[in-house]
Amino acid sequence: MKIVPTIGMETHVELKTNSKMFCRCNVVETDKPNENLCPTCLGLPGSLPVPNKRAIEFITLLALSTKCQITTDGMFHRKNYFYPDLPKNYQISQFDLPVGTEGSLEIVVNGEFSTVEIERVHMEEDTGKSTHIGSGRIDSATSTHLDFNRAGIPLVEVVTKPLIKSSKEAVSYIEELRQLVIDLDISEGKLEKGNLRFDANISVAYENDDELGTKVEIKNMNSLRSLEKAIEYEISRQTKMLNNNETIIQETRHWDEKKEVTSSMRSKEGSADYRYFSDPDIPNMILSKDFIDKIKNNMPVLPSEKRNTFINSGLSIEDANSIGKSPKWMGELYKSVSDITNDSKTTFNWITGELQGQLRKLGETSPPEWMTAEQLAEIISLVKNDKISFTSGKEILAELIEEKINPEEYAISNKLIQENDTEEISKMVKEIIKENSEVLERIANGEEKLIGFLVGQVIKLSNGKVNPSVAKELLLKEIK
Amino acid sequence: MTDKIDIKNVAKLAALKLTTEEENKLEKDLSMIIDHFAALSEMNLPDEKISIHPLGTPLDLADDEAIIFLSHEEALSNAPESSDGQFVVPPSLD
Repeated sequence: MKIVPTIGMETHVELKTNSKMFCRCNVVETDKPNENLCPTCLGLPGSLPVPNKRAIEFITLLALSTKCQITTDGMFHRKNYFYPDLPKNYQISQFDLPVGTEGSLEIVVNGEFSTVEIERVHMEEDTGKSTHIGSGRIDSATSTHLDFNRAGIPLVEVVTKPLIKSSKEAVSYIEELRQLVIDLDISEGKLEKGNLRFDANISVAYENDDELGTKVEIKNMNSLRSLEKAIEYEISRQTKMLNNNETIIQETRHWDEKKEVTSSMRSKEGSADYRYFSDPDIPNMILSKDFIDKIKNNMPVLPSEKRNTFINSGLSIEDANSIGKSPKWMGELYKSVSDITNDSKTTFNWITGELQGQLRKLGETSPPEWMTAEQLAEIISLVKNDKISFTSGKEILAELIEEKINPEEYAISNKLIQENDTEEISKMVKEIIKENSEVLERIANGEEKLIGFLVGQVIKLSNGKVNPSVAKELLLKEIK
Repeated sequence: MTDKIDIKNVAKLAALKLTTEEENKLEKDLSMIIDHFAALSEMNLPDEKISIHPLGTPLDLADDEAIIFLSHEEALSNAPESSDGQFVVPPSLD
């Protein structure tokens, strides 16, 4: 019987606020440990947590944009655990009344639309950073050093329903969520900086089973690549166990980036182990209709809406999804240029391929400020209308990145305009044929590759002005 | 009577090392406490939301303005042990 995997994702999004979630300590990147602290984030007696208004606005925005129902009468809970990365011995989080529930997010997997069901979106605080001194390993350290700068930074946890079916779908979901928080301007969304951290809950079961298999949580995946590999590994490990009738234990496993395997960390805690109870220090969080409406009315363009605009311009779902997740300037430039060229695919290829490639080689992240949509559209049109070759188009683009030029004038003054006059080209073709009787013989004997050589000779004769495809066409006609 | 308490798990979560004698005593004590609370479920209560915050104080949200509260030195001043500007605690796992 077929074995199928089921995946649920838990993602922490670090919000882009100025101050922490429950105190007004600075949220800034610093190399100096323990610089941004106060009695509240240090868990000192007598301190009182007060939630950050902007963070509540941000999470409401995220919950609304993932089509969640908003809990208007929510509250905060204490999640108790014995570990020193939060000095209070508990994390302020949300339990049964999260800000958002029952949402969904449209994603693109392999060029097709799919939907990920969101179970909940809740607000909590980040932990401090611990460094294990001694062996470098947590389980044999001699002491632990603590930096609480990060403790209390607002975090949103987005939990999906366990309905994701493949590693590719999980990766597409994270890419979509990342783009969403960037476009909503609520998080930097940088994976490498830990602004987005994800765990995957994976189980396998026989296809016709009514119940899901035993859930295993995978942690420590720092990139989309490691997320994909870890899920693949875990599905294959559990599938083998199920095939061998071995018992899969509910546990948390650690992804080892170097060895590319998961290994057991600890048996998984159930929510009872965290002894959740409502935080008596924080009154119920009533979100008024006015508060929610104000956020709804100021909703920016969402990635799914942006994607639809690109699709409507003529791009495939895959290309529309890809440009929507590229730097903002690319999407904007694409729109302006394709409005002029009326050729979505060619414009897409020039911007995401040639332009981005040349900029990357120069170590630039965006085009120079003088480059306009009109100039780029002109280069694309010159190539498309066979006035210049593709190679000349690339050359003009490189020049345009260097300095402000007029593409057509540049093409004329640098003699890049192609000869399309068939009569003229025919003359040159005949001349080349006359000079290369030996080559013609070899072509007749099956060495067809030499046609390319003859085309090259025609181009040489014209000083590079001849359109190669026209030259080839005429050459073939002559030979036959 | 409620389910039997897993005193070993409770002790593990609270990071307490208990002797067998203490385990037996605490298991009995905790069971009594839980049974006492279980009595509440037998009461006929109106079908209303539980009141966590009896005063119904409205929640004030704070403006997102950062301030400096403690200096680095002040923050570490009462720490029993510190090193390289960090708090030092016993190893997290043993």
